Amino acid sequence: MPIDKAWAWGGGSGSGITVAVVDSGIDAAHPAVRAVDRAVALQWDAETEQVASTEGPHDDLFGHGTACAGIIRRAAPDVTLWSIRVLGSRLTGKGIVFAAGLRWAITQGARVVNLSLSTGREDYFGLFHEIADEAAFAGVVLVCATNNVSAPTYPAQFSSVISVAAHDGQDPFCLDANPAPPVDFGAPGIDITVPWLSGGTIVSTGNSFAAPHVTGLVARMLSKHPHLRPYEVKTILRAVASNGVAGRTSDDD
Amino acid sequence: MTPDELLRELGELAMSLGPAVRPAETDELLRSLTQTARRLFGAAACSLALLTEDDSELVYTTAAGEGADDVTGMRIPSTQGIAGWVVQSGQPIAISDLANDPRFAREVAEQTGYVPQTILAVPVETAQRMLGVLSLLDRDAARPGAEQDMALLSLFADQAALALASVDRFSILGKVLLDALAEAATGSDLVLALRQAADGLPAADADLAALAAAFAALARRGAAERRLALALVRDIGDYVERRPPRAR
Repeated sequence: MPIDKAWAWGGGSGSGITVAVVDSGIDAAHPAVRAVDRAVALQWDAETEQVASTEGPHDDLFGHGTACAGIIRRAAPDVTLWSIRVLGSRLTGKGIVFAAGLRWAITQGARVVNLSLSTGREDYFGLFHEIADEAAFAGVVLVCATNNVSAPTYPAQFSSVISVAAHDGQDPFCLDANPAPPVDFGAPGIDITVPWLSGGTIVSTGNSFAAPHVTGLVARMLSKHPHLRPYEVKTILRAVASNGVAGRTSDDD
Repeated sequence: MTPDELLRELGELAMSLGPAVRPAETDELLRSLTQTARRLFGAAACSLALLTEDDSELVYTTAAGEGADDVTGMRIPSTQGIAGWVVQSGQPIAISDLANDPRFAREVAEQTGYVPQTILAVPVETAQRMLGVLSLLDRDAARPGAEQDMALLSLFADQAALALASVDRFSILGKVLLDALAEAATGSDLVLALRQAADGLPAADADLAALAAAFAALARRGAAERRLALALVRDIGDYVERRPPRAR
């Protein structure tokens, strides 16, 4: 049986799959989002020098988390959405807060985590490498937006995560595989209409909008094939990519 | 003077001198960079905003084009808006219908009187630190998609980061100098002594650094200006000497 899109996610709706969006918060009332099942806001407490977390409904401080949630919801309408807000309070301790949010998602049982952010700071290499391994061993798929700059950013750089850049296309089910990683896939992220603040939409461009397209597809895939491991998910995405090897057998060569 | 004291004095001297010998061209370079980017992308404006020392605010230090005078010096919290998003997430972003982000449009209009339709903003950062954000407003609509310009503008941002990093090094010249000597030195005693001297240096004094930089700028004007500045400072010194001491 060929591994194609129909096999990979046909009929999947994301049902039963928890997707965590580590971002600026999600506006749960936005019509494109419909519902957020769990929300936690993390920030750096300068006095205790620790990360403080507050669980409960919160706003989106920029609009970006809502955009990602809307893109995921469109691809996988029945996913369980978690909002993990790590951006927007203050910049101090940002990397630590980001890491804590990612860890929260993994330990609380999210199946897919969407990260439209990354850090280029070398001192965080080790920390994020450790967390990326924890996720991989726990069967949690991390989907990261890559940066446009040539320097590495973490955790997008690591081989166990699925790293995504924007390609020039609008079809949410169409992926390109990059033959020269660390960027793994191209997905829509150029001049796309996304949900934003106050229930509205904007037309925007960025790799950070390409990642949630892949996150949505992974959620669909996992709802149909719940036992897949992260490396299998990546292999299947590669197989169904427009320049991949879908449906080919050894006779084709 | 013991060798330890000598090292410390050397470090402190370099620390005070650093800002005076920093390349004067940095500000001009950054200005030229925003002007070049603005023209290359056919944009209405290009601006550079830098994070304050405590990362709490973004200060627009350099701008070219529409509203440049109003934008320069403008401060916004680093936790707000498109620029805030870029420094927080480390991700570039382009938006092509800003009017649909009512909060952004209102904030910008209040501060600059110019409301752009589109923005393209990329982070300015080194491997050690996020420095700020470089933004293009209303780039030429005839140019192809934002994605390619985003990659190009990121190259400008890399240049700005390099220039800013070198200025930073001059402000901690004493430490840089002793660290470099320690790297080059062999023999664990000397290396240890240099490292200790470097660690023991006081933080750069912002006022003194500004004073040194102002003198350096004057000195480059010519001998007459140098003599004038020296005479003025001596007069100020005399005045301070004669003045009754201030109550503390």
